[in-house]
Amino acid sequence: MRPEDVVFAPVRRLGELIRERRLSPVALAEIFLDRLERLGGRYNAVVTVTRARALEQARRAEREITAGRYRGPLHGIPYGAKDLLATSGGIPTTWGAAPFKDRVFDFDATAIRRLEEAGAVLCAKLAMVELAGGMGYRQPNAAFTGPGVNPWSLDAWSGGSSSGSGSAVAAGLVPFAIGSETWGSILSPAGNCGVAGLRPTYGRVSRHGAMALCWTLDKLGPLALTADDCGLVLEAIAGRDPADPTTVDRPFRHEPDGPAGRRFRFGVLRGVTDGCEDAVRESFERSLGVLRQIGTIEEVTLPDLPYDDITRTILFAEAASAFEDLIESGAIRGLTAPEDRYTAYARDAILAKDYVKALRLRGVMAREVDRVLAPLDALVAPGRATEAAPLGGEVRSAIRGTARDVMGAVGNGAGLPAVVVPNGFGPRRLPTSLQFMGRAWEEHTVLAAACAYQSRTDWHGRHPDVS
Amino acid sequence: MSEPAAIRAEVDTMLALVRERYGSRLSAEELDGIRTAIEGIVQAAHALRAVRLGNSDEPGQPFAAYRAIP
Repeated sequence: MRPEDVVFAPVRRLGELIRERRLSPVALAEIFLDRLERLGGRYNAVVTVTRARALEQARRAEREITAGRYRGPLHGIPYGAKDLLATSGGIPTTWGAAPFKDRVFDFDATAIRRLEEAGAVLCAKLAMVELAGGMGYRQPNAAFTGPGVNPWSLDAWSGGSSSGSGSAVAAGLVPFAIGSETWGSILSPAGNCGVAGLRPTYGRVSRHGAMALCWTLDKLGPLALTADDCGLVLEAIAGRDPADPTTVDRPFRHEPDGPAGRRFRFGVLRGVTDGCEDAVRESFERSLGVLRQIGTIEEVTLPDLPYDDITRTILFAEAASAFEDLIESGAIRGLTAPEDRYTAYARDAILAKDYVKALRLRGVMAREVDRVLAPLDALVAPGRATEAAPLGGEVRSAIRGTARDVMGAVGNGAGLPAVVVPNGFGPRRLPTSLQFMGRAWEEHTVLAAACAYQSRTDWHGRHPDVS
Repeated sequence: MSEPAAIRAEVDTMLALVRERYGSRLSAEELDGIRTAIEGIVQAAHALRAVRLGNSDEPGQPFAAYRAIP
């Protein structure tokens, strides 16, 4: 099997080849390890290539499959993990931040452990915005590994905060990656890099062993070439974990095809493309044309509430507490982005009463959006309002209040699942994207809708020139 | 006090708090950046305070009593 035959193959296809013993897990790991080592630096995508652990896991997979013990579709599949997931064996876990660049844990995060149990092969810890962007960064150069570079254009940002997870998948350095999202950190890099990204329901995936940015907003989820692949990965990492009390015992079953001829009912929030670039709006309108082939589309509204302010206040208050030691001690001086070295001091201005008010309004928000979503399969919207930001420019951010993102504020504030997939290109030849957001625990529905969309489009089959 | 004036006064008060706590380690330029960040925080707080809630409107994430599994 030649590298060019597998590098941009979906996980599902790689899994079939491995199951049929037409593809060696060891050979596959070698291909991706070579690409990570050779190309990872071009995109500032990699913190650590975990070659020894990868080859050990790949050899084990090969032995098991040869002996007839096939674990499932991730058995023998290489992947990368955002470098905020704890890994044992002397592999550093840096949180993207210089003060932690040599820190090592002696255990694996639950998501890492579950992927190992599924037979997946950890090939790299992937770069990220320092502290997952929790200190208020304003531009891409906010990680000790350098700014995340977009494989579609070396002048553009890969997105944040799961920068390496997005660019590594897009550049064919790993077939899938794990990212995290507090507000936008999976959907943004997936959208910027033209790959699929799934933000699961809050509580679907254990965060044990993951850096805490914001306890009531943090989620872990996959990025991959297709929505279908994201579903395969979610099946492996979802589920109750006694080590994370927010997780629940709700079964998840990926059903990419669903019933034959299934018709979806989609909603579009009134004004959801306000503030979007023209190209983003055009891609979205074209996507709606595709979605009309598989369902109906209706305009819906949410009551007038300060959605961005609710989620932003929760995020800032909890992040200030999560990193209290780092902030109070002045150790944030060691961060890369100049603004990350002081902006967090402003969060002393958040009053406890206002934080609790935001939590109470979150309850109202959750009920209102569920009421709107109840008759629908998904709300659809542009994944991002703009093409990826230039590397040297300022990043527009709803978190800082320099952009609006009602879908992100509501989706993250209410803990709802969403999947983003590519849906076109803008004038700078950078990807635009489409998101599907569903009710809590409806990952199978939003994934089925995204799979149906991708079965009628070929944007996910286009890849950057990586040679 | 008009709304902008109320916000400005609150920003000034909060900035004074930050300066009191951390001023010795912050430059004038950094304090300007912190002021901008505080303005965003205070504006968000005013937006939250403007929404009326009932006594029974609980936080969306209720506390759960803990008991270790033996």
